[in-house]
Amino acid sequence: MLRRKRFWFAIMAILPTFAIFGWVRLFPIIETLRLSMHEWNLLSKNKPFVGVQNFVELFGDNQFLDALTNTAIIAFGAMAVTIPMSLVLAAVIYHRTRSRFSGFYETAVFIPHVVSLVPAAMAWKWIFDAKLGPLNAMIVGLGGDALPWLFDPVLSVICIIFLVSWQTLGYGVLIYLVGFRNLPKSVFEAAQLDGASGVQSFLYMSVPLLKPITLYVSVVTLISGFNVYAQAYVLASDTQGAPGRQVRVLVLDMLENSFQNFRVGYAAAEAVILLTIVLMLTMIQFGLLRGKGGR
Amino acid sequence: MSAKARVRRTNFMLDIALFIICILLLTPLILLIANGFKTPQEMLVWPPTLFPKDPTLQNFQKVFTETPLLRWMFNSFAFAILSTVAIVSTSALAGYIIGKFPFRSVNVIFVLFLATAIIPFEVYMIPLYFQVKALGFLNSIGGLLVGYLVMSFGIFLIRQNVIASIPDELLEAARIDGGGELWIFWHVVLPLLRGPLAALAVLAFFQAWTAFAWPIVVTTRKTSFTIEVGLANFQSAYTIDLSLLSAASAAVMVPSVIAFVLLRRNFVEGIAASGMKE
Amino acid sequence: MNKSIRSRALTSAAGLLLAGTLTANAEDIVIWGGFPELTEYYERVAESLSGKYPDLNVVVEPIGLRDHEKRVALGLSSGLDNATVLELIGSTANRYIVNDLIQPAPDNVSAFVKDDSNFEAFFQETATVGGLVYGVPVFRGQGALFYNTDMLAAAGLEGPPTTMDEYDEYAAKLTQRDSDGNPTVSGWSLRLSGGGGGIAEKFWINLHQYGGTLLEQDGDKYRAGYANEKGLAALRQYVNAVSGLKTVTVEMPADAAAFQREQTAMFIRESWVIGDTAKKAPDLNYKTAVLPRGSIALPVNLYVSGGSEKAQAAAWDFAVAANQPEHLVWMLDNVGWLPNRSGVDYSGVVAAKPQFGAFVDLPEDYVFFTLPSIEPINEILTRFAAQLVDAYADESLVGNDAAMLEVLKASAEETNTILKRAGILAD
Repeated sequence: MLRRKRFWFAIMAILPTFAIFGWVRLFPIIETLRLSMHEWNLLSKNKPFVGVQNFVELFGDNQFLDALTNTAIIAFGAMAVTIPMSLVLAAVIYHRTRSRFSGFYETAVFIPHVVSLVPAAMAWKWIFDAKLGPLNAMIVGLGGDALPWLFDPVLSVICIIFLVSWQTLGYGVLIYLVGFRNLPKSVFEAAQLDGASGVQSFLYMSVPLLKPITLYVSVVTLISGFNVYAQAYVLASDTQGAPGRQVRVLVLDMLENSFQNFRVGYAAAEAVILLTIVLMLTMIQFGLLRGKGGR
Repeated sequence: MSAKARVRRTNFMLDIALFIICILLLTPLILLIANGFKTPQEMLVWPPTLFPKDPTLQNFQKVFTETPLLRWMFNSFAFAILSTVAIVSTSALAGYIIGKFPFRSVNVIFVLFLATAIIPFEVYMIPLYFQVKALGFLNSIGGLLVGYLVMSFGIFLIRQNVIASIPDELLEAARIDGGGELWIFWHVVLPLLRGPLAALAVLAFFQAWTAFAWPIVVTTRKTSFTIEVGLANFQSAYTIDLSLLSAASAAVMVPSVIAFVLLRRNFVEGIAASGMKE
Repeated sequence: MNKSIRSRALTSAAGLLLAGTLTANAEDIVIWGGFPELTEYYERVAESLSGKYPDLNVVVEPIGLRDHEKRVALGLSSGLDNATVLELIGSTANRYIVNDLIQPAPDNVSAFVKDDSNFEAFFQETATVGGLVYGVPVFRGQGALFYNTDMLAAAGLEGPPTTMDEYDEYAAKLTQRDSDGNPTVSGWSLRLSGGGGGIAEKFWINLHQYGGTLLEQDGDKYRAGYANEKGLAALRQYVNAVSGLKTVTVEMPADAAAFQREQTAMFIRESWVIGDTAKKAPDLNYKTAVLPRGSIALPVNLYVSGGSEKAQAAAWDFAVAANQPEHLVWMLDNVGWLPNRSGVDYSGVVAAKPQFGAFVDLPEDYVFFTLPSIEPINEILTRFAAQLVDAYADESLVGNDAAMLEVLKASAEETNTILKRAGILAD
């Protein structure tokens, strides 16, 4: 009986939020998904049903497959960089919480997350410049060869991973910091008494205890990675006469199909495929990063 | 070396390392600010100079006199505050429920919430636009808000933090003591969520502050623009007035930093004050 | 965020919500443009109407082109509240006309456009669909050659190149190299990378000089027209420049900025470069020249939709007023876009800024081409651009005509598939 009462409380409490969600998210999304089986050019009144034709066409579409590959690489790359780096950075900043500079560290790491990309991109174009950028200068200084970062098909993808990570690092650090601050202090005090070093208590206690937080950062970074767009767009623009290779990413492909090729149904089909893939990946992450109590 | 001195030395090294990392992270922004002070001629120079040889205030002047930048900042601010309030309230309760009431239907709702975050906003923006238009909400803060009332990642964040730092036993004890569910939420759960809620407030605030894709289709009147939409105006068909845009972005960074510092102080001090954990 | 801050924020925010609802009066007219640099021009036109319409409020709202397109698509498909003057490229507008989202112009406006002394046939055509006039032409984007006179003199070259062979010759002579033989200053800057269909568009300009075209028109159907001698000539020119003689490479700075920094000797672009260069590199010694055969012209027209009858009449008056000679001369002088109206005296502007000469003083037999007003045009350009980018990076194509022709044939197949899907493939 108690369980029933709790169940009704849960449903009632979540209903308002779910209602809002239904109206601003679920409804338009379901509408979009429905469009994936139709053809619509955004303007005409008729939207003929075409079944799975859009999907069949997508699997043979080089541009789409290219976009899918690039986006996946960027998403996983950004994840691989962001998770460990933000965890370690947060740990170090947390360790130095009492320093008078802790505010500066937190702010400095976070600001890239909120700055407008178009003006910031010029700096990145310069950093990656093949002849005059500091990155190549450093590489040559260390004995390597200068690389065409912005033009090579592979390297340009790495540039985007850099740019994405630069912005998500602050997000990850913020989340992890809160996680660190909420860790139970008593356990750490006990460990310290037992002679554990800082690094040891970090590796064997903080990291496992922070698993639910890591799951969050991991899922969010992956989903945001698959939604990458602005970074690819700014690096390809020819600011200062310094163009770059356009790395095709999924959102770019979808926007082009919707607003320039006027094939909204086709773009919606892309969205369906994206949803399926990322949902599966998300479920896998939930399985892998189950914290204590199986959640 | 005594233990204390060793600790101090380690701390010093860590500070140096952190400093270097922070400066590296800020380099693109230092260049951005420098660009705001350059003349169009100096902007052309490649590689760009970090310190303008011929600094000018004309960009900043132009930005403040020829564009309603302050009005845009006000719009963004109002929009961001409202969005933050909505998101924090909905996420707190929803996140708690999903985290601590693992019924089948609640889990399904969670999956739905998360799944809606996967589809890029730009894609379902079209049907949403027609919905908002039908309600007559275009060009108003209400219309802007429609896309920013709830945040899947916000609910997810609270769920994870609820799982990580609120033990079931605590809730059981409160229930046995005779506390109603709402009372428990308000007096037991929320105080423990102060840190994550503050972090969420920061993220929600800045999500609205930097929003672009939705505001640009919903707001067509220049006076109802938000900042990012206004900044997009500096880009014409083939050229971008980069020095002007950089000056405007630099100007906008100032309230961003202030907002972050203020919000941050809220949750760092909040935690320190609450003292004991367990 | 603690409770008291939250509740205070809530009440003030609720107030803001009510205050923040802004709509224009039903009698206002709104100008939607995709070129923010034209704001002042539109404001001047609005001023000039204040005599006839003292109570009229004209709201000028230009924004970046990409977002303008989105805004128009969403606005027209859901219906516009206010009478809106829409600035649209002819080919884009066609889409809306075909779907009945834009109505034909009223008779007096139609007469104004059809008057041969006002506009040449080319511009009348782009504003007309099925014999009915839908919009008023106003300005266009058009290309010409920009060349650095100092560099030409230093290389012993007199005057600009006038044939495609001369372009190749000049490109080779004007390239400056370092001790390793790598180009430091490109002879002729070409569009080799970047997003969108721009690469295909620029290729088409070169193709046009060889007498070729990207899309062949056959009645109201089309087919790919570049998998032939002329397409090969154009592609060969690019491949030789990038991979053969290396007079230009993908990593080199390109476009207007490179020209202004003297990192390239010549390039083809639109008239906005003149205004831009006056601001950023006023001491640059350069001239412009017409292209060998003709140029791309992207005409922009003004259309009207939405609002009450009275407001629409005012909006059409605005569109016609925008073509007053005084406004057009101002536009050319201050913004740099090229007005379409004939019979306007631009000599004052050209005398002060001679570089405009190559844009307005055109030879009798100059042949314009434009992007066809078909639905899949963007997709065709974008996909072709992707193929071109790969071709430019492929060194094995140098001297290999057969391979280059293969590349063009493969692309043409892709183009034709797209045309077929849209139901407009000619047989």
